[in-house]
Amino acid sequence: MTSSSDLENPLAASALPHSYAPLPDGEQPAGNNPTIRRPRKAALFLVSAFLVLLFVVALIAGNGPVQRKDLNTEVSLTAPEKVTPLLSRGVEKGVSEKSFHPLLGADDNSYPWSSNMLDWQRTAFHFQPKKNWMNGPVFYNGWYHLFYQYHPDAPVWGKIVWGHAVSKDLINWRHLPIAMETDQWYDEEGVWTGSATILPDGQLVVLYTGSTNESVQVQNLAYPADPSDPLLVKWVKYPGNPVLVPPPGIDSKDFRDPTTAWKTPEGKWRITIGSKINKTGISLVYDTEDFKTFELLDGLLHAVPGTGMWECVDFYPVSKQNENGLDTSVDGPGVKHVVKASMDDDRNDYYAIGTYDAHKGKWTPDNPTLDVGIGLRYDYGIYYASKTFYDQNKQRRVLWSWIKETDTEASDINKGWASLMGVPRTVVLDKKTQSNIIQWPVEEINRLRTNVTVFKDVVVEAGSIVPLNLPAASQLDIVAEFEIDEKTVNRLNGDDVGYDCVKNGGGAQRGALGPFGFSVLATEGLKEHTPVYFYVAKGVDGNLQTFFCADQSRSSTANDVDKSIYGNIVPVLKGEKLSMRILVDHSIVESFAQEGRTCITSRVYPTKTINDNARLFLFNNATATKVTASVNVWQMKSAHI
Amino acid sequence: MKFFCLFIFLSLQTPLMVIGDRRLIESTCKATPSYSLCLSTLLSNPKSSSGDVSDLGLIMVGATKVKATQAIQHIKTLYRVHPELRHSLNECSQVYMAVVKADVPSAVQALDGGQPKFAEDGMADTAVEAQACERSFSGRGQKSPLTQMNKDIENVANVARAIIRMLL
Repeated sequence: MTSSSDLENPLAASALPHSYAPLPDGEQPAGNNPTIRRPRKAALFLVSAFLVLLFVVALIAGNGPVQRKDLNTEVSLTAPEKVTPLLSRGVEKGVSEKSFHPLLGADDNSYPWSSNMLDWQRTAFHFQPKKNWMNGPVFYNGWYHLFYQYHPDAPVWGKIVWGHAVSKDLINWRHLPIAMETDQWYDEEGVWTGSATILPDGQLVVLYTGSTNESVQVQNLAYPADPSDPLLVKWVKYPGNPVLVPPPGIDSKDFRDPTTAWKTPEGKWRITIGSKINKTGISLVYDTEDFKTFELLDGLLHAVPGTGMWECVDFYPVSKQNENGLDTSVDGPGVKHVVKASMDDDRNDYYAIGTYDAHKGKWTPDNPTLDVGIGLRYDYGIYYASKTFYDQNKQRRVLWSWIKETDTEASDINKGWASLMGVPRTVVLDKKTQSNIIQWPVEEINRLRTNVTVFKDVVVEAGSIVPLNLPAASQLDIVAEFEIDEKTVNRLNGDDVGYDCVKNGGGAQRGALGPFGFSVLATEGLKEHTPVYFYVAKGVDGNLQTFFCADQSRSSTANDVDKSIYGNIVPVLKGEKLSMRILVDHSIVESFAQEGRTCITSRVYPTKTINDNARLFLFNNATATKVTASVNVWQMKSAHI
Repeated sequence: MKFFCLFIFLSLQTPLMVIGDRRLIESTCKATPSYSLCLSTLLSNPKSSSGDVSDLGLIMVGATKVKATQAIQHIKTLYRVHPELRHSLNECSQVYMAVVKADVPSAVQALDGGQPKFAEDGMADTAVEAQACERSFSGRGQKSPLTQMNKDIENVANVARAIIRMLL
């Protein structure tokens, strides 16, 4: 009996009667001690990375429909959790006993990955469903919704359904039942990525890709069964589905991930869908008035040769002057438009800034040499199938991404889960450079901060390392500024040797002005450690270039995990100090340089640097300069995930 | 006489059917790390004669599954005969179970559904799992009884991966 005015005013939704128990307000259930781990739930495996930008990031689900838990009973431990060996560890994690129990005599210690090591990997404040493929975030009726792609049968990609979780603050989550199953011929092989659009009257519609019983990719319409249910538990698929099938000239398997719709000057709705023609990545454009019948525009929104299939295309405006986000339909002189696509070929998310011509339905990059797929990436580490949504509640645009595992499948099965969501980030245009975006963890994450330790003006001489004394080091928020010695820089002769985070030797390769930064998830004695650092290079012309890298090559003594080095150049403007922020949460490290100009997400799987053994170090491996660092380190509380 | 004619007839048919498809198989295999392994595996499967690159990928994924399944069976036998190797053998059985139960079905679903990158992930993981199995012996200072088998699986998974990459 909700009046339509309630739907138009989502903020009044909390006054609606409902039968759901309130979510604890950001209180982490295991008390304030960040070293206490929450009991492990059944494992989720992230299956596909396709993001549906509908609702707030959804993560993986476990086996079968998720039961609505009474969250208060999940609070438990007052003592550090003991790990007891199980006969069949898989079952407790929700992995089907019949599929995965060890063939031979059970011996938990036979595997180099002990349950202790695997248990530690689970994060404390990153959304982690059992199987984690992200769909789309949306804010509706007082709640952030995350729909995620979930594979119920195994910790790998497969027949995907839509999992569902809700949050009031993007940090603490309540899991809800599966929103959509593969129960129609047009999505029998998978309910894939989609996007939500909020109509002016407050109605919510979803367009999503279904993989049909013959594996043809089609677009379908769905909407909430009960729009007055703030939790949007039940969903209805439009009986006339599919609403879009692959057009002529487009392969039946190259047509997926419809975007949120935006208004055209004619008052219609417009969406874009990524595809490819031979090796050219393209973005098709459709107009619609009712989300049921569509008109394909003659031209493409944009295309870039050689980039391959464009998945999870995203298209949104950013303000040239203001710090707030913009609704997807906003256009005008004070606005630039971002086109983003996930490149199937190299598993990275690329974006470019440009100008949108609403009448032609075309977008042109400001800098064609940095076009979509060949220029800037959202993140230089593991970050794929990301999507933004406009959070009308706080007038910001929020970016969310799926972060896969970079360990083995066998480990994922053993630990009972795979994949997670990165910390949500606000996205704005960098006003100073006007040529890139800036991403920064949503401010709600700061509510998890506790127990700050401050280190002011620590001088780290060339070739030295400084341990930072902390109560614990697996759940941290580190914010730091660095200064290198100006006299040294001026005195130095430049060279044109060049530097590349990926190809050079990581934290151990010394240059005159770098590397320097932090070693996170480090053991005493650095048997395992993950350097996150700046490397400054002075060119022959006297100009400085700054690189920001994360080095996994020494992150673990295990041999079956990815040990790449990630990173990129970061623009540093005159007068700016070098600054970085690092969020450490067990097996995920998210690093941000220059307030979010360059970002790197890493997965780290140590065997020794777990529990009480984790340490944090400041290091300066440069040969010529000392470095002065000022650091704030917070312990991060655990969230409800 | 009738039999003789039938024989001649059939002999003439087969080469004509295969010539065009053979070129696809040969060019596909040339782009993989093990040309002869690729060729022999594909040619020994009759479906390869009428398949596109995705089908060839499926055949190679199937061959990977066969080898991993054989490995699991062989490990069971070895376990009875060599109890001193049980830790490593148990580890190997776990990694190959992951291949057979997770990597392979995921790769098949991905190739059927037009999402080749997940199939590539599955075959890339298979190669890593084979290496992990081999290392489990050396890590304990033992001689591996599975070296050839592990190498075969790694090779066939890498061939599968190379074929799948052509679909991206």
